[in-house]
Amino acid sequence: MPTLTLLFGVPMRTAVAASTISIIATSTGAAVAFLHDRLTNTRVAMWLEMGTSTGALTGAILAGYLNQRFLFILFGVLLAYSGYNMFKTRKAELPGEVVPDRVSRKLNLGGSYYDRLLGKRIEYQVTGTIPGLIIMYFSGAAAGLLGIGAGIFKVSAMDQVMHMPFKASTATSNFMIGVTAASGAVVYFARGDVKPLVAGPVVLGVLLGAVVGARLMVRMKTTTIRKFFIPLIIYTAIEMIYRGIR
Amino acid sequence: MTEETHRETPSKHEPIEMVLARLLFVGSVIAAILLAIGIGAMLLGHGAVATRLVTIGLVALMATPIMRVLTAGLIFVRERDWLFALFCLVVLCALAVGILLGHAHVK
Repeated sequence: MPTLTLLFGVPMRTAVAASTISIIATSTGAAVAFLHDRLTNTRVAMWLEMGTSTGALTGAILAGYLNQRFLFILFGVLLAYSGYNMFKTRKAELPGEVVPDRVSRKLNLGGSYYDRLLGKRIEYQVTGTIPGLIIMYFSGAAAGLLGIGAGIFKVSAMDQVMHMPFKASTATSNFMIGVTAASGAVVYFARGDVKPLVAGPVVLGVLLGAVVGARLMVRMKTTTIRKFFIPLIIYTAIEMIYRGIR
Repeated sequence: MTEETHRETPSKHEPIEMVLARLLFVGSVIAAILLAIGIGAMLLGHGAVATRLVTIGLVALMATPIMRVLTAGLIFVRERDWLFALFCLVVLCALAVGILLGHAHVK
């Protein structure tokens, strides 16, 4: 999105609309590969989507009443903290033994997937079910308030609070962001912010990129993916704090 | 993927992941084709046709995740997994309210 406004001189609202539809393209394009490899945990996704969708709704209603600067700093600091946590566990390929909490057992949230790189089936349990849902609510609210994708918060929560394997967290987060983005995109569409000749080429590019990227990810080591992810978290955290202070 | 065993799905139906994967695949392919033809038309100078094709492509892409929640909900109903069907309903309601509020905001 910054590239669109800075390099091509596209108006901000047009860029935001195009970027929101690009999020749907990323989510949809990549989800096909993730679902085929069973990396996406659809039950966890549906449980957490209740948080993200109601959060996004709250965020959209509250937008304009809350101080955006303060929110950018707050979420930036939270993200920096979660980046630090991820840095501490950067060597871990898989979480250790996880004891599922009561809600997780009742909802049967645990899952398994076949890891192509490790050449074996990974069975895992999920914990922190309620804290995870609450974090998703706030991540959804952040998305609605600040107009960001907030996928980065979702991965962190599933990885660090719910102790899901990193690949499953990434795939499940990717699966969820499409829904939140779609609700935003419909509104932009109604407002006439979607300029087909700007959004079309961008979205097609992102769609093709997502299909290729997802196929690469299922074959990569978790520790390698983390190496890409940690700098991204740190960069996003700094950018958010900067937007708050500026 | 032949080494995979689907032991976690006792249901006689196709696993939910595969149904949703097919839905998302069809959605992306339709969107990609419409966008590609639209951009092609734009390059050839057929502005009006291009705008219409690209718009339909973008709408197809936007509708895909919403269809995905709806489909997941129907699958949970079929499996008599009422709790998860309810979760899908909550998400659909939040989406609907969001879209209605958004539209109201525009006018």
